[in-house]
Amino acid sequence: MTDKPDRPAVTPHVAVLASPLKRARGLGSARSGSGAWWAERLTSVALVPLTLWFIASIISLEGTSRAGVIAWLQAPVPLVLMLCMIVATFWHMEQGLRVVIDDYLRNDVMRMTMLLLNRGVCAIAGLLCVVSVLRLGL
Amino acid sequence: MVALRLPANSRIKQGQTYKASAHAKRVRKFHIYRWNPDDGANPRTDTYELDLDACGPMVLDALIKIKNEVDSTLTFRRSCREGICGSCAMSIDGVNTLACLKPIGDVRGAVRITPLPHMAVVKDLVPDLSQAFAQYRSIEPWLKADTPPPPNGERLQSREERAQIDGLWECILCFCCTAGCPSYWWNGDRFLGPAILLQAHRWIVESRDEATGERLEALHDPFKLYRCHTIMNCTNTCPKGLNPAKAIGAIKRLIVERQV
Repeated sequence: MTDKPDRPAVTPHVAVLASPLKRARGLGSARSGSGAWWAERLTSVALVPLTLWFIASIISLEGTSRAGVIAWLQAPVPLVLMLCMIVATFWHMEQGLRVVIDDYLRNDVMRMTMLLLNRGVCAIAGLLCVVSVLRLGL
Repeated sequence: MVALRLPANSRIKQGQTYKASAHAKRVRKFHIYRWNPDDGANPRTDTYELDLDACGPMVLDALIKIKNEVDSTLTFRRSCREGICGSCAMSIDGVNTLACLKPIGDVRGAVRITPLPHMAVVKDLVPDLSQAFAQYRSIEPWLKADTPPPPNGERLQSREERAQIDGLWECILCFCCTAGCPSYWWNGDRFLGPAILLQAHRWIVESRDEATGERLEALHDPFKLYRCHTIMNCTNTCPKGLNPAKAIGAIKRLIVERQV
């Protein structure tokens, strides 16, 4: 029997005493997010015809020589559609991965690192594809 | 980094079994999650065998019978017993619903009852809803109007305008939907969750409210609103038949509409 029977033997230390309302309000609204949401839908919708066109084109180019493919790519329509497809694909990929990172990574350092890596890798990979296509097409 | 098992003091152990009387004909087992914050023990699953012939039809009737006749330490919230107060929200047979509206006959085999998922537990089946209610308070769920009310105090609303809040005003804030949302599980501190977003939409479409722009701006946040990925668990589980996913979709559409 201790001299303070109502106190537990080890008093727990509470690090967060802020009210639930303070925690719910957080830092307030960022006033952004709709841009990313709209862009996700835009790239998704654009990718349907673009990807179908890309697959159909690759199939139709089967058996063509390297020179034939380059000649096909030098026409304006295939070149532009190819560039659109590459941009839409890598942008869409970056957005999808960003959602996964935002959802599942709680540690701020890890989250920031992965977000930067995500953007960096998608941008570089996308640019590599764009530059390659432009080199052939122009 | 990754925890594949619950922490050692959270793992659910096998608890006691309370048998039904020998002359009970229709016996059903109820496996109920128990945890007492005061005894330092792990959570456990107690099994109660009930004679359904001596019990009301709903799961809440079974819980009250257990508390009255078998084990009075079983702790759970309940009040109206008719699906209007929202107190008895819990996970029954893996689905978040109100115990007073869930017929025992709807469940095949043993009835598993646990508290609402991914909510801090106060005791047994009682979740800590303080964060959820704070999030409700944060959307300012009251009429905000700069126009003074007419002299007789009545702000008029047409039938069509009143119909806009149908499907939204009926929410009883039981939090079955919020507790069933995986985005709320992983980001409940920053994502508002379907119940609160439904109520936010209730005030956005309220014809007498004049702060619609402010309300939309307050939600326009990658976490508060846009953690919703249309998983649809919310609409699936709502015991009142409401559609939070549709309300959230409407909010997203309104925000984009402002920019077009």
